[in-house]
Amino acid sequence: MLKKLTQFYYPKTVEEACLQLANAKEKTSVLAGGTSEALRNDSTIEALVDISKIKELSYVKSDSSSIAIGAATPVQDIYKSDLSGVSGELLKTAAGKIGSTLLRNAITAGGNLVALFPWSDLPAAYMVLDAEVVCRKGKPKRTVPVINLINSKPAAFLDKGEIVAEIKVPVFKKGTGASFAKMSKTSNDYSLITVASRITIADGKIKEARLAINAITAQPVRCEEAEKLLTSKKPSAELIAEAAKKAVAGLKIRKDYRATEEYRKEVCEVMIRRSLEESIAKAGK
Amino acid sequence: MKLNVKINGKKFDLEVNPNAMLIDVLRDAGFKSVKSGCNEGSCGACAVMIDGRPKNSCIVLAGQVQNSEILTAEGLGNPETPHILQKSFVDHGATQCGYCNPGSLISAKALLDRNPKPTEADVKDALDGNLCRCTGYVKRIEAVLDSAKIIQKGTKGNK
Amino acid sequence: MAKTTKKETVKKAAPKKATVTAKKPAVKKASAPKAAAKTKAALESAIPESPLVFERPEKFEQVKHSLEKVDALGLVCGTQKYVGDIDMPNLLHVKVLGSPHAHARIKKIDTGDALKLPGVVAVYTYKDVPRVPRTTAGQGWPEPSPYDTYLLDSKVRFVGDRVAIVAAETIEAAEEACKKIKVDYEVLEAVFDPEKAMDKGAPVIHDEKDAYVPIPIFYDKSRNHASHVETKVGDVEKGYKEADVVLEKKFYPHYAQHCPIEPHICMAWLDENDRLVLRTSTQVPFHARRITAQTLQIPIKKIRVIKPRIGGAFGTKQEVLLEDICGLVTLRTRRPCKLALTRSEEFMSSRTRHPMVVKIKMGAKKDGTITALSMRIISNTGAYGSHALTVLSNCGSKVLPLYRANNIEFVGDTVYTNLPVGGAYRGYGATQACFGTESLMDDMAEAIGMDPIKFRQKNHIVEGESSPIFKALGEGREGVDMAIGSCGLAECITKGMKLIDWKKKYGKKGTGTKRRGLGMCCLMQGSSIPEIDMGSVFIKMNEDGSFNMLLGATDLGTGSDTVMAQIAAETLGCKHTDLIVYSSDTDMTPFDVGAYASSTTYLTGGAVITTAKKVRDQIIAVAALKMGEKPEDITIKDGICYGKGKKNKVTFGDVSRYSLYENKQFQIGAIGSHISHASPPPFAAHFAEVEVDTETGEVKLLSYVAGVDCGTAINPQLADGQTQGACMNGISFALTEEYIFDNGKMLNSTFGNYKIWGTKDMPNLQTFLVDSYENTGPYGAKSVSEISINGGLPAIANAIKNAVGVRLTRPPFTAEKVLKAMKELKAPKVEAPKAAAKKGKKK
Repeated sequence: MLKKLTQFYYPKTVEEACLQLANAKEKTSVLAGGTSEALRNDSTIEALVDISKIKELSYVKSDSSSIAIGAATPVQDIYKSDLSGVSGELLKTAAGKIGSTLLRNAITAGGNLVALFPWSDLPAAYMVLDAEVVCRKGKPKRTVPVINLINSKPAAFLDKGEIVAEIKVPVFKKGTGASFAKMSKTSNDYSLITVASRITIADGKIKEARLAINAITAQPVRCEEAEKLLTSKKPSAELIAEAAKKAVAGLKIRKDYRATEEYRKEVCEVMIRRSLEESIAKAGK
Repeated sequence: MKLNVKINGKKFDLEVNPNAMLIDVLRDAGFKSVKSGCNEGSCGACAVMIDGRPKNSCIVLAGQVQNSEILTAEGLGNPETPHILQKSFVDHGATQCGYCNPGSLISAKALLDRNPKPTEADVKDALDGNLCRCTGYVKRIEAVLDSAKIIQKGTKGNK
Repeated sequence: MAKTTKKETVKKAAPKKATVTAKKPAVKKASAPKAAAKTKAALESAIPESPLVFERPEKFEQVKHSLEKVDALGLVCGTQKYVGDIDMPNLLHVKVLGSPHAHARIKKIDTGDALKLPGVVAVYTYKDVPRVPRTTAGQGWPEPSPYDTYLLDSKVRFVGDRVAIVAAETIEAAEEACKKIKVDYEVLEAVFDPEKAMDKGAPVIHDEKDAYVPIPIFYDKSRNHASHVETKVGDVEKGYKEADVVLEKKFYPHYAQHCPIEPHICMAWLDENDRLVLRTSTQVPFHARRITAQTLQIPIKKIRVIKPRIGGAFGTKQEVLLEDICGLVTLRTRRPCKLALTRSEEFMSSRTRHPMVVKIKMGAKKDGTITALSMRIISNTGAYGSHALTVLSNCGSKVLPLYRANNIEFVGDTVYTNLPVGGAYRGYGATQACFGTESLMDDMAEAIGMDPIKFRQKNHIVEGESSPIFKALGEGREGVDMAIGSCGLAECITKGMKLIDWKKKYGKKGTGTKRRGLGMCCLMQGSSIPEIDMGSVFIKMNEDGSFNMLLGATDLGTGSDTVMAQIAAETLGCKHTDLIVYSSDTDMTPFDVGAYASSTTYLTGGAVITTAKKVRDQIIAVAALKMGEKPEDITIKDGICYGKGKKNKVTFGDVSRYSLYENKQFQIGAIGSHISHASPPPFAAHFAEVEVDTETGEVKLLSYVAGVDCGTAINPQLADGQTQGACMNGISFALTEEYIFDNGKMLNSTFGNYKIWGTKDMPNLQTFLVDSYENTGPYGAKSVSEISINGGLPAIANAIKNAVGVRLTRPPFTAEKVLKAMKELKAPKVEAPKAAAKKGKKK
């Protein structure tokens, strides 16, 4: 277990944490909930910067335009928050499907994104909600679309001494619906297939479509071709079916001994169809 | 490394290996109610409350609880003065082999602390990380719901 | 002095209802001429006779009440101690290096580097230990399992098999040392398919010379053939000719692990008399002592086995898996040691449910008469033959008697493969076999156009009936003939139907992508192994009127300590909390075979009555002496002895102090044993309601109802808890639990990947007990613990069939399998492989 670990840092502020990371001579890693560190058991890590006790990193806030979640917020707090609206409900649903209560109290909003596993539940939701990530390197910060972070692998995306500080999710007004679904053997199982979607409808047509998949793929992906297909069209059963087919066709499916590739592909298509149907139905309400 | 921690209300200054896991530190310190079942955060037998949050101590590094307050089943009550939840587990036959009980009780306590009037679905949700192979969960759920009622009624428990 | 139990039993045993009981010839009464026979009779009476039936009190004070589990408070407060909950100075940590190969010979093994590591104290390979063939199955001696397992061997036969043993100052050092052991393997061809294991030319797994069976039973290791059982009743061929419909189908119940939340763990040390003490998580302390002595070649008297609280077992701890290793390390190093399996080791190298190929053939007439029934089993015992024969025979003996049929055939074979080792697992063969019969019962009902419940009601065994199978199939020898003395199955069925709302819901599948279905099944099990298993009890009285009750029987969390206390209290006339129960410790407690075969309540409960009666007689005698009354006038209630007309009274405490200090001093106390002459089956009916997603194949279990007839429930709350736990285990076995292999290696050996169900997965689970009275059992009790694990597979399979029309034969019923079967059903029939079931074939 983390054989070379000798040092813990307990920063009180983000700046302090970034400084400790930047100045570290030993191989140093950020520790939030710690679940992935414990399970990955990286025997090269020598020091850990524990950001879980930084007060300014633990919050769930919302106003009329956006929801902001501190990176070190346990996902249980998202699940049990009073967030509402399309984005709020979707985040709560996705957070609630992570592991078990005991794990949700350890896993953090940022950790679930940065320590990215194929079965991580929140990233697909972040993606369809067009979430942004606030990365801080001490005081300086940059706000980037979550998809950039994911596509270039979070660990590589962040500079030395830089951490994810906040996830920012826009709030959608009437005419938008979203859906999140996870297929697994039991309620606290790793996801076999994760599907999230968001649809905004205006004048009877799909104005904006978002579709993201995980678990069946090695990392969360947006199905941009399917999104394009949906955009500016009147929702119909045929359109949804076509989009689902298109989305699945382009997926690079990872190995998973729990089910065959053919089966997962087939069910993924069903799940996408249902997800889009649900999002469209909600958008119409 | 030095670890300052409060366990069941009592201060401890422990000398631990930096890579020690909390479960081992607690058991070595005498808190044997903390049980090992999977060592990967999947079964909940080692669950303890850390600063009010129930977590699997097998995947928490000891260093993560620096200056924290920890509650184990020993801290809930003892056979002479059991916690209402403990008494209720006994009354409802929610304990068979008992190995998973301390962890489940911690999860139940965390639930009632936050939500004094839970529904059955709330209880199932709060205990979803505590595997039990003996009881089939039915009596445990009844016990938690009943405890909530007793606490609500203001019936004086022993603690 | 106490009267002999024999006399008392014969005198009082007349049961109220003349239900048929064990057809064992009555005990021969001494009838020789008085004078000459006196010594002989005295000697003969030195061997106690176990009663055939027990007396039935008018009403119950202690049993049939949900009294508090005696260890419950300590368990929930964390003060009760399990094996690993004591600290031991100077402790060594033990780790076993497991084989990475499914089948290989160890050509060279070099432990030099491992021994050089700091903290490593000892490393043992096959070269360092005695080679003694024996079984790890904790069964009565001589065991009906082959002696094919060694402390360490030069050959490994499955992934996870023992290669070497390391003892070190820390667990980390021991783990590190395992990595440093250099092993040169000659990898051998492996066999994984049980249906091919006996083929000519298949790799021979036990090619060693010295493996053998200790009792005269079939064994052919040269063909990987670990056991064979067959029996015939009537003429099945004739029966099939008489049938209107004959169906035949193969079922494939799968690998599963017991998953006690406490994995196997053992500690060892030398006591002040230099004896080896083993503190171990076991169901069978006495068998563990014997098998450890055998393996290490030391006298039994050198070993003491202590069983503290146990964190669940379900059969996997009816196995001697760690005790020999810890014993070896402690004897060699003279230091205490501890070996605790990781969850992954628990999955891969402890014990599993024997997977099987179950072929059932059934013939029936249109009127619902079953004309013939054949069961053909191939059981896969993995690399070693633990419980190979007995699990196999139980497939027949605990399933075939359930329905009347004049022509029955059972043929079973157990084969070795290079896969994890089978063992005892709650249900013990019945689980696997009844999946086949109960599935086919539904198919047959459909084929003859009869309601599946009516079909079962028409055929199931009832009170007073017998089955030739009881005598035909025993455990390693002939069984015991018996008739059913109690059967509440009919009520289990009718009440269960109401609870699940069968009449209203059955056949209403709904439309769209979510289809609903109902399914049910009937079950039976046994209660102990008749005329083989023995339990015994020692009770002594303390000065305050309390009693120490020392039990060889092992409470694993089941609550048997409490159940025994209630039976003793009922017999003695006191409260169950007046009994201080201690189980089990081979130095302190009398012998008991252990907790298995659904035996503890039924068997050891009998020993408790026998013993408590002796003690009660002594209490009466002393109370009479103290009060100057006649013993026959004494009555007892709530720990108080009353004289004639209740004028005089003395408490149990008074009686005890009188006997210890005042007059004609002696220790009030007794030891008693019991064997059973029957194994009365408990019965159950289980019902499942599912919703199947026709586009994904996902099965959602909405409701599950289980009704059980366990005779008198000594503690209804505990019996109900046993039922609920067994149901949930059977359910998750049916729907999610499985071993996924790659070349013999289990890929999903963690709780994260082998999914047992949690609270959020639960269906609406309703359980109930049906009252019946079993005269051969203590206060009318039969067993309860095993039976309800058997229902999940068939009840859910039948419900899925009802919902979407597919007959699933390869559990677990994962979404993928359901969807695949549904597609095959829709696809145009090109005489699919399923067609082996000659559906609706007319004669």
